[in-house]
Amino acid sequence: MTFWSRLRSWRRVILDRSRLENDMDAELRFHVEAFARDLVGNGMERQEAMRRARLEFGGIERTKEECRDARGANLLESWSQDLGYGLRMLRKNPGSTAAVVLALALGIGLNTTVFSFVNALLLRPPTGVEAPDKLLQLWLHNRGTSGIEGYLPVTYPDYVYYRDHNQSFTGMLAFDGDPESVIWNRSGEGQVVLGQLVSGNFFSLLGVHASLGRTFLPEDDQPRTPRPVVVLGHSFWQQHLGSDPQVVGKSLLLNGTSFTVIGVAPGRFSGLLVAIEPDFWAPLTAAEQILHDAGRLTDRHGYWLFAVGRLKPGVDAPRAGSEVNLLALLIEQEHPDTNKNLGASVFPATLVPGPYRGYVSAFTGLLMAVFGLVLVIACVNAATLLLARATGRAREMAIRSALGAGRARLIRQMLVESTLLSGLAGCLGVLFAYWVSPLLLALKPASLPITLRVPLDWRVLLFTSLVSLSTGIVFGLTPALRSAKVQVAPILKDEVQSASYRKSRLRSVLMIGEIATCMVLLVGAALCVGSLLNANSIDPGFDTKHVAVATLDPGSLGYPEAKVRGFYEQLSRQISALPGVSSASFVNHLPLGTAREQGAAIEGNHSVAGQNGVAVDVLRVAPGYFETMGISLLRGRDFLPRESRAPGEASGGVAIINDAMARKLWSGQDPVGRRITLGEDTGLGLEIIGVVKTGKYRTLGEEPIPLVYLPRLPGRRTLVVRTSGDPRFLLDPIRREIQAVDAGIAATDLETIEQYMALPLFPARTIGLLLGVSGILALMLTSIGLCGVISYIVSQRTHEIGLRMALGASQQEVLKLVVGHGLTMASIGLALGLAATLGLTRFLSSLLYGIQPGDPATLLGVSVGLIFIASLACYLPARRALSIDPIVALRYE
Amino acid sequence: MDKQLDLLQGTLDMLILKAVSLGPLHGYGILLRIQQISKERLEIQQGSLYPALYRLEHQGWIASEWGESENKRKAKYYRLTAAGKRRLRAETENWNSMADVIAGILGTKPEEI
Repeated sequence: MTFWSRLRSWRRVILDRSRLENDMDAELRFHVEAFARDLVGNGMERQEAMRRARLEFGGIERTKEECRDARGANLLESWSQDLGYGLRMLRKNPGSTAAVVLALALGIGLNTTVFSFVNALLLRPPTGVEAPDKLLQLWLHNRGTSGIEGYLPVTYPDYVYYRDHNQSFTGMLAFDGDPESVIWNRSGEGQVVLGQLVSGNFFSLLGVHASLGRTFLPEDDQPRTPRPVVVLGHSFWQQHLGSDPQVVGKSLLLNGTSFTVIGVAPGRFSGLLVAIEPDFWAPLTAAEQILHDAGRLTDRHGYWLFAVGRLKPGVDAPRAGSEVNLLALLIEQEHPDTNKNLGASVFPATLVPGPYRGYVSAFTGLLMAVFGLVLVIACVNAATLLLARATGRAREMAIRSALGAGRARLIRQMLVESTLLSGLAGCLGVLFAYWVSPLLLALKPASLPITLRVPLDWRVLLFTSLVSLSTGIVFGLTPALRSAKVQVAPILKDEVQSASYRKSRLRSVLMIGEIATCMVLLVGAALCVGSLLNANSIDPGFDTKHVAVATLDPGSLGYPEAKVRGFYEQLSRQISALPGVSSASFVNHLPLGTAREQGAAIEGNHSVAGQNGVAVDVLRVAPGYFETMGISLLRGRDFLPRESRAPGEASGGVAIINDAMARKLWSGQDPVGRRITLGEDTGLGLEIIGVVKTGKYRTLGEEPIPLVYLPRLPGRRTLVVRTSGDPRFLLDPIRREIQAVDAGIAATDLETIEQYMALPLFPARTIGLLLGVSGILALMLTSIGLCGVISYIVSQRTHEIGLRMALGASQQEVLKLVVGHGLTMASIGLALGLAATLGLTRFLSSLLYGIQPGDPATLLGVSVGLIFIASLACYLPARRALSIDPIVALRYE
Repeated sequence: MDKQLDLLQGTLDMLILKAVSLGPLHGYGILLRIQQISKERLEIQQGSLYPALYRLEHQGWIASEWGESENKRKAKYYRLTAAGKRRLRAETENWNSMADVIAGILGTKPEEI
């Protein structure tokens, strides 16, 4: 009760300061006048009565002040005094304030940026969904394997079983975990859009209501009566359909089938997967109509669905987990062939699916750690600066203390100043993150079809506030405690030469820590930049300059095989006739991408190439592929057009192998004319007609992998075009030719090979850039810090240096004294940093190409560089020591 | 008029609570009432009244609102709150028992020990 009344009264004080003053004024005036009136009533003359009344009342101003105190109004006032004073101090030294704030702002801003990504990937629940904390994702896992490889999404029959037999969920939905690129035939012109297949209860179970029309009903998703209907994504509807309010009921031609639009999803909802914003949703049972893939719903081997259940009230995740595990055992009994050893478990339905969260958190954790170190360096800089300033302000503190300021008040004053600095830095840091996040997103290769939303929401702002506040307290506390411990009398009597040994020792320790941290960051940065240079110079085995590529899939439109072949033959002719094109060919998928085909090969003719074959990668290419990609043919010949049209490999097919394969099977001998049997083939096997140079197929860092090229291609192919000039100028002509041959087909990923290479280089580039930036920042901050500390020491030892010079010390000796101190700190920091580096950079080893974490050349280079920078940072202030005039220095007491 | 007494430390709050418990009063009225009840024997520093009033209001034992005085002037009236009533009762009991103890001690005669 009284607590609330106090709060209310404080609120009044805070919100209505002027009313409090007016009220107080009026009340006291009333008192005095009423008193005077009574005196007049007793026969006193009016003027005299007023004088008496005022006199008897006592000091009105003092009363007012006591009233204010009684109200707690002064509490606020003393805080605002501190604040105002702090602001004034910051304004008084604009240069050092700006330096500290800027350094901290960079540190806080970088951390905010990384955290905003952590938030976007790991913390943010799916938006626009009702009670997302009640949603659980179901994952199968192979009991025999550990790690992420053991986890699988579910098949359609599995989904149906779990959906119909569980007791824990009010309902279970499923969606296509890897949304499909679909060709939207827009009045004769093909355009690639992203579609996600979802169960009929998808929207209703999530509690997502259509912003226009309706969402799916269970009736839309019946296996026997599939309905060609779609719900559009909000941004797709806005950007490609001009927010057409009449869109419901219209139809879209998707992969050759006409779908009716029944509704538009709300803008807040963008699906349940991070970075994937489908342009439209279609019922699962429309899989056949849209993908021309009849078997999807009955296939017990196709693990393509993410299943999500909504918990019933009163059921918790562990109970649901044990139930689905039980159901998994029942399925295993019914289908021992496919579901052997497949258990089931549940994860919270997060934007990054449960099993993958570990990877994402390891990567972002590494970045947080790196940028955390940058912030530590900025903090140390700020602390040394404040320490220096605190020593300079010892006199001021002594006066304040002599005038009656308590120790707590002095500490509070200093902390208010430091948190003001860090708060200012925090605001700038948020601006920085707001500006840098989109730049980081732009690093992503254009060919990755992801749209990541990185909002600066309340979680990010809370994080930044906490980081700023604790930063301010961390770097402000030591200087604050230091300055509150003033010895009043000696300072006021000017007896103390304030640079005591202890004070500069603390500063030296801080500086050594800063240099050590800087060393760690620099080595990390050097390793990653070195690795990036290595990765850039790795020869992938094909020309990365003069090729344009485009992926085509006429098969998805449901074309028969003859029509597909006709399309490609005509396209090949037209493209080859373009000016500047020297050759064009096809491959089923480009190396170093995400797609892969593997098999086992064995020498000679065998009925079955069994277990003991050599593991090989397989690529399927059309004639002219090697010439187009600049892969040299070491022996034999290329495929002939006739061979790529042959009905199958079964009857005397041909194959081309790479050098690694040739060495593996026929070390040194000529393989041309020999035969191999590939895993899937039986009978005659394949005749080797050529050998080409080995390239990189999976990752840039891999060891040589044996590979077999086959001449027959599926419907989905990547067109490769070679030009003598800049392939960028070929992209538009290629697009036009594709439209000219078949207007209903659109190419995905039409780009130059250089743009394509951004994908395999993406990890190395990102890490190299981020660590490089952090290393440069660390170096800059550290050298500024070192320079500041040395110049501070010089200024504190002016007297001593003057004395030494007066006694005959040479300039060199003085220089040695000052620079020597700095270099001692640098060397100790360096040694500590090296020790830490050896321990820490191990975490980087999986991200590095062709460079070891303990690479001696890198360590030596960084050490020499750091010492050089440190000497420079010491030399500049040391020069000032030389210009000290002994007479002036000694006279100044 | 009897000799005026200085107010005992810490008793002003209790007197104010008692004064306003008899009906809403403005600050000057409280002063007059205490003097009247005490038959002018208590000397209250006029300036010390207001900080006490503000403190009591801040603690929620009295509440204030603007009203009109006997002379049709705007004046701030204080009244006792429910919490103030409890407080007054507790303070009164406390005071009475304290006064008994003190009186007992002071009234002790040598032969009683």
